[in-house]
Amino acid sequence: MIKLERTATLLSPHSWQLLPLRFHRLDADSVVLTSMVGEHEFVTPDELDAVVDGTCTDQELLARLRAVHLIQLPGERLPAELLAIKLRTRMRRLPDSTGLHIFVVTLRCEHTCRYCQVSRQPTAKNEFDMTEQTARQALELAFMSPSPHIKIEFQGGEPLLNFPLIRWITTEAKRMNKEHGKDLAFVIATNLALLDEEILDFCAAEDIYLSTSLDGPADLHNGNRRRPGQNSWDQAVAGIRLAQERLGMHKVSALVTTTAASLNRAAEIVDLYAELGLRGVFLRPISPYGFALRRRGGADYEVSQWLEFYEAGLDRVEELCSQGVPMMEIYASIIAKKMLSNTDPGYVDLTSPAGIGIGALVYNYDGDVYASDEGRMLAEMSDRTFRLGNVHDSSYADIMLSDSLLDPLMESVTLSAPMCSTCAFEPYCGADPVFHHTTAGNFLGHKALSAFCQRNMGVFTLLLRKMRDDPYFLDLMRQWAQ
Amino acid sequence: MFKLTGRADATGLAGPLPDKVWRIRLPGEPGTMGADHASSSLACLISEDQTPPAGYGLYLMTGSAPAASEIPGPVLGLGPELAHLAAGDIIHVHGDGRRINVLWKNSARHNALLLTEQCDNYCLMCSQPPKDRDDSWLFDRARRVISLLPDDAQALSFTGGEPTLNADAFIDLLEHCQKVAPRLSLHLLSNGRRFADPQFTRRYADVGLGDIMVGIPVYAPEPGLHDFIVQAAGAFDDTVHGILNLASLGQAIEIRVVIQRHTIPVLARLAAFITRNLPFVAQVALMGLEMTGLARPNSAQVWADPADYQSELVEAVRILTMAGIPTRIYNHQLCVLERRLWPYAVRSISDWKNDYLDVCQECSVRDACGGVFTTSGNRLSQHLHAMPSPAPAPFPARI
Repeated sequence: MIKLERTATLLSPHSWQLLPLRFHRLDADSVVLTSMVGEHEFVTPDELDAVVDGTCTDQELLARLRAVHLIQLPGERLPAELLAIKLRTRMRRLPDSTGLHIFVVTLRCEHTCRYCQVSRQPTAKNEFDMTEQTARQALELAFMSPSPHIKIEFQGGEPLLNFPLIRWITTEAKRMNKEHGKDLAFVIATNLALLDEEILDFCAAEDIYLSTSLDGPADLHNGNRRRPGQNSWDQAVAGIRLAQERLGMHKVSALVTTTAASLNRAAEIVDLYAELGLRGVFLRPISPYGFALRRRGGADYEVSQWLEFYEAGLDRVEELCSQGVPMMEIYASIIAKKMLSNTDPGYVDLTSPAGIGIGALVYNYDGDVYASDEGRMLAEMSDRTFRLGNVHDSSYADIMLSDSLLDPLMESVTLSAPMCSTCAFEPYCGADPVFHHTTAGNFLGHKALSAFCQRNMGVFTLLLRKMRDDPYFLDLMRQWAQ
Repeated sequence: MFKLTGRADATGLAGPLPDKVWRIRLPGEPGTMGADHASSSLACLISEDQTPPAGYGLYLMTGSAPAASEIPGPVLGLGPELAHLAAGDIIHVHGDGRRINVLWKNSARHNALLLTEQCDNYCLMCSQPPKDRDDSWLFDRARRVISLLPDDAQALSFTGGEPTLNADAFIDLLEHCQKVAPRLSLHLLSNGRRFADPQFTRRYADVGLGDIMVGIPVYAPEPGLHDFIVQAAGAFDDTVHGILNLASLGQAIEIRVVIQRHTIPVLARLAAFITRNLPFVAQVALMGLEMTGLARPNSAQVWADPADYQSELVEAVRILTMAGIPTRIYNHQLCVLERRLWPYAVRSISDWKNDYLDVCQECSVRDACGGVFTTSGNRLSQHLHAMPSPAPAPFPARI
């Protein structure tokens, strides 16, 4: 009953063509191949050689590569069409433009964190507060964005020190949105020390999210995050619990900043997050900006040390998940989406074109508009490269079409960047012109010398190895990808 | 289960009957015969002790042979295998009056109309082997069935062969549906290849049916294996292009994957292929084999015991469901499915060809299970068994 023999549909040597294919050796006997949309396969170096030189006879391997559009037969149209659809899907957020709008409502802060990347001011100096006039102009600009989703993030300093303005902006934004009809969301980035009943009532009534910092156990956290009374940890933990109770478990999230003191304590940090019922932990490296760069506090470890810390934290997250504790590592989940789906989550620090300006805009207390939070920090250190204008005298077009934004965007696109364009991890990675401007003096940087590159290559390699060797971890990544 | 074909006692006929489709009506049924276009296609179903009303074109009688003199029209006696016929059912009576096909069973969950036996694929496990002969009368018959459907008819499937091979007849039939039964929920089984032609797909979409889904088989994530399984070079390319064309016009698509010896090793990769390339599909059906048609002679090529591919099935279901694609498992008995797959299992075997075995009598989940294909003969899983009572608890974590 066979009309078409199986052998007739197999690939004979030298019959196939390579589609855009990049590779990276993970181990002595393992190479990962990636397509231009991030689909990947693991092969041995010998298998890669045989596929590239056309001598491969392993039909199972050839079928695997054909299925993810790494090879095709001459004349086939479908693989290129599917790759094009997937690529378009990955890029579809770009025309939406800016979704995140950061309002620096005050530079005042009652903490004196060792790694702070923001130039804080003592709590009594009201001249570092944003005014209603400035906020109104900033809102006008934010609502110019074509994005159907507008998230307003209140930052500082400690934004709760200027709570009346948060209240004013929220009310005003909702009033303006009656005309614009955007999906509007609010988040306050706060250390929670000033959280009180009035603020909680307001957050509950207005559906506002809270994002806080929690570096780990009390001694670690208080060592990093200094405050009169040395009670930052108590305040943060009490605030998280209170907010969870009053606003709902999912309404409060926390971020880790890793300092040298954190390096051996990844599991403890993850456990604390689990204990508090937080569903995600974001194991971030310290930022190279501002106080963090100028002072010794924190930035005194190598990328390799951070990668060890990250791996230990990730292992602990996996262990908790296997015990039925719901937990996710946020950075891995962002990368999971890029590896296992056609979605680019558009995470500002890991996307190409870069997320500056078109992913997020920062409205400083004085009305200056920056392409990113780090760009604002550089300006405080008198480097105004990423200042795009001022809400009082710049139009939306002035800001979005300024050379200060377009030059770094265009000069850093990974698909055309030396060493990125040939990198197997390009579909997973991103452009960070602010980092490279700061560390290398140009928007592109030299990838062989870039800590950004070294760190992310390390993370991608780690995640791919674990996905290759550990079916449970692969399953977790698939869950996180959604 | 019940029979969809049967023989009638035509000894009461005075002469030949028209070769025709009839809707069955009971004598006491409310409503009038009316003057509507369908009244001449009404057959009256009577039992022995009833006095038949006049005016019907055909009388059907259960029980012993009718006395022609008492009946005001042509009369047929129904054999015991057709005793299930009831009001609203639609039948095809051949000209000799001896052969009857049941085309619409009003009480059934599934009703399917065969539109052709021709096909441009020749799948290794085809349950309805293609025949290359002119059978265009099947379209005419389908058209008449649709005209006679009760007003409250819910759902109808079109099957083949490949229903789209005769493009004009197929589109005509859909337009007829849109005209006379626009609220009907339609399901079309197609290999999707014809939809690779954008103009045909445009005609299909332009019919404007509000509730039609096309179920299209994809058996592998790349052409080599798919083309072998469907026994047609170039089929994968056509089928996937067809799916893309349908999607570009907003048409609802179901992907059907028959699980057999060749597809099991690639099931997870196929699931991943669907999530990456065809994530817009309305649902994916992972289907157990019906061991009839070509699946029998090709048994050694295709048969696999469901008990032996549970891990592959679990992984495929996880990949699909985590990507948000509605996923169903068809044609599998609960006792050979891992407990965590039960929520995805559907009682999918049509009621005219499903059955339960002796071993099923004691089973605590029999009522939730679709049973087995009567058409599969004794080619069934070696691991069928009664589930003890109480039934196993749901899997603790989500799959």
